[in-house]
Amino acid sequence: MTGVAEATTSILREPEYRIEGRDKVTGAARFAADIVRPGMLHAAYVTSPFPHARVVSVDLTRARAMPGVRAVLTGAETKPQRLGRRLQDWPLLAWDRVLFIGDRVAVVAADTVEIAAAAAAAVDVEYEELPAILDPEAALAPEAPVLHPDAAGYAYLGGGTRPTVPHPNVQGHGIREHGDVDAGFAASHRVYEHTFTVARTHQSYLEPRASLVWLEGDRIRVVTTNKAPFALRQHLSVSLGIPESRIVVDAGHIGGDFGGKGLSIDEFVLYHLARVTGRPVRAVTRYADELQATNTRHAARIILRTGVDPDGRILAHTSRVIFDGGAYAAGKPVATLMPGDAMLTLAGYRVPAARVEAMAVYTNQVPAGHSRAPGQPQNAFAAESHMDLIARDLGIDAFALRERNVVRPGDVDVTGQPWHGTDGAALLAKLRSASRYDDRTANIRSVGAKGIGVGIALGVRHVGRGRASMVLRVTASGHVELHTGVSDQGGGAHTVFQRIVASELGVPLEQVAVIRGTTDAVPNDPGVGGSRVTPVQGSAALAAARALKKRLGDRELEEVGALEVIGEAAQETHEASMYAYALVAEVDPDTCKVRIRQATLVADVGTVINPVALRGQLEGGFVFGLGQAVMEDLRVEDGRVVTANLGDYKIPTIADVPPLTVELLTEDPGPGPFGAKSAGELANPAVGAAVANAVHAACGVRVMSLPVTAEKIWRESRRSGS
Amino acid sequence: MSTHRLRFTLNGTPRELEIAADRLLIDVIRDDCGATGTKLGCGVGICGTCSVLVDGELVSACLVPAVFVDGRSLTTVEGLAQDGELTPLQDAFIRDGGFQCGICTPGQLIAATALLREHPRPDGREVRDWMMGNLCRCTGYYGIERAIMRASGAGGQSDGRGLGGQRPPSLS
Repeated sequence: MTGVAEATTSILREPEYRIEGRDKVTGAARFAADIVRPGMLHAAYVTSPFPHARVVSVDLTRARAMPGVRAVLTGAETKPQRLGRRLQDWPLLAWDRVLFIGDRVAVVAADTVEIAAAAAAAVDVEYEELPAILDPEAALAPEAPVLHPDAAGYAYLGGGTRPTVPHPNVQGHGIREHGDVDAGFAASHRVYEHTFTVARTHQSYLEPRASLVWLEGDRIRVVTTNKAPFALRQHLSVSLGIPESRIVVDAGHIGGDFGGKGLSIDEFVLYHLARVTGRPVRAVTRYADELQATNTRHAARIILRTGVDPDGRILAHTSRVIFDGGAYAAGKPVATLMPGDAMLTLAGYRVPAARVEAMAVYTNQVPAGHSRAPGQPQNAFAAESHMDLIARDLGIDAFALRERNVVRPGDVDVTGQPWHGTDGAALLAKLRSASRYDDRTANIRSVGAKGIGVGIALGVRHVGRGRASMVLRVTASGHVELHTGVSDQGGGAHTVFQRIVASELGVPLEQVAVIRGTTDAVPNDPGVGGSRVTPVQGSAALAAARALKKRLGDRELEEVGALEVIGEAAQETHEASMYAYALVAEVDPDTCKVRIRQATLVADVGTVINPVALRGQLEGGFVFGLGQAVMEDLRVEDGRVVTANLGDYKIPTIADVPPLTVELLTEDPGPGPFGAKSAGELANPAVGAAVANAVHAACGVRVMSLPVTAEKIWRESRRSGS
Repeated sequence: MSTHRLRFTLNGTPRELEIAADRLLIDVIRDDCGATGTKLGCGVGICGTCSVLVDGELVSACLVPAVFVDGRSLTTVEGLAQDGELTPLQDAFIRDGGFQCGICTPGQLIAATALLREHPRPDGREVRDWMMGNLCRCTGYYGIERAIMRASGAGGQSDGRGLGGQRPPSLS
């Protein structure tokens, strides 16, 4: 065997060749919607046209009489079953009231998609409209109608009891305080308060969700686009009252996730349809329904108040964040029932005293759930715009203000905890040089360039946490097989695992196969998400390789015969890393159209395992953030999503993306295998503020809401006379 | 609904089907022919995941009736590699990060194949103009442009007016 250290570095130095690459470029990779079963039926839903209404009656006569219709179910048959990742508040089918436009009232199974759709259209539902709550502030009024009067009876998964809420229309709520906030404000030279709003956006994976359910003996088999198959098994078990041992979930290639595919909403009724018809039943979501009726990113209103000394050093901070949670909290997996980083309102800075309050509120809007770095794009937009406004008012360079306040190891940040992560000063120094900030800003000044400006913004993301395990087998011929429950959502997980195991064992990559298993074939896995795969599941792969090395001793793989070890990993401590952007924007003086001329990203990623995929995550994260920054707005009018196709809901095309320079910090090791950190949610949240700050630098106009559009700049410039 | 006898070649293989007049090409390819490499995304001709070549012309299969291909020659992603040998474009998509989740990849490859037939040595602007109709939510498009440049003989480097021609970062 080659020396491990030597093998490790030599394998990790080479750009990777994706394990699933060949299948994905030849069309051989099969996604959930590509799987068919003999006798398979197709599902279609009857959905509410009202944001809030009582279901008076449902008449199935016409639908049931149509040739090719095999079953029609209503909420009366599935009552009282509800679904959800943590709080199960979403009825499989509504039986009493509908809470948003798109809420499901009935489901059809038919021989073809067309017949199912026609039958769904033939179901006659009588509604009695109720007053709709379309604004979170209205939902919080003392006399507001209570949207979930039966909340006390909802299942709350994951142990413990649901945290109490200050108003029945609140999904989740949190307050955190540290330091002497009042004294901090009293000692402040200036106190700044700003209010920001962020539009609702959609994850916009290009693969609509799909699922297929059939019964096989007493087994319930599920093929799905859900990225956390073990969690889905648990949700199905609780909702349907069926033991987990009878449910087998198969989630293979997933056509993009970005947080949205942790929530399943079809598999539950498909089980009932399969049970009633005795046939496999499939649902493939129409893209319009993706945009209208799944779990979006939360729209938010954020009020930040910060006191500073004459040099701009932060002395005290308070914040109040209100997220529009929509009709159901079902899409949120975390215990607080808020977006994961709902309370991270001034991330990346030394904050000696803070009081942070955040909440997610029920409304009659599209349910909101998790989307890439949940809560962070909203809070990062507010915080980094706020910092820029403070710098301008104090007459301090925006870069200098950040350098004075940026968190360094040991400092207390907005969470009240000592920071142990990236040295923020080193990160900003690298950004200053990599982006040629001084040259660029001096050039813009010296030539008197109008309409061009540089904006900066920094961001923070935790390194993933959780527990995972995998099985490593040696075959009789000396080949190594890693058996994992991690699905492939595009991040390159399986290639990460292969490289880790091959590196640690000092064997060629071809000798290590990575085999993804269904939930009955591999150890429990927490799924893809929360920036977890490389640090947590990657550590489990490394632990398995180390366990195997120990068992091997001096023997070669070919000598030991069949052998099996388990690798387990737990990452429970809070570790974080940091990134920052410098972005050059040009604003057309007549049309106010924004063009990003160039972007520089500096990211602290620790040890790199898959260099090509890492780069792709950072580049893709930037463009994901850019979409939210300049164009994405899932517009809702009177409760109805009006951007219901990918022509109206605009996401970036190849023509929209600017030249991007990426610089990595790799020296500071993270908790992951060989010192790796996370990258998947590291780059997107801060882009919105970087754009808003660059636009302000370019044309003197401040936009306080996302997305930063030409219309808003124009309107604001007219208002302020800039 | 009237039915039609439809004759065409799919990736070089003659096909003959009896289909209803309102069937969409995407459904006939995927459901009747079992060629599931071509994906359905937005369903309204915006995202490009269903891109196929009809007599070499780029078409969104979610928009056209299947009868449109009667007597014509259809190429899908399954028809790009010959005898198991990847095309330079397919290989470059793997080496340069031209895909992540892979759902838009068949459409990207089909569109890029058509591009390189039309413009064998495209510059960055030609790539971006041509590929604008193929959305990708994972890569941010940088890897796609790098891959097309590599396959066109530009060695994976953009022309400098493009999205940036850096090589992947390595440990150092």
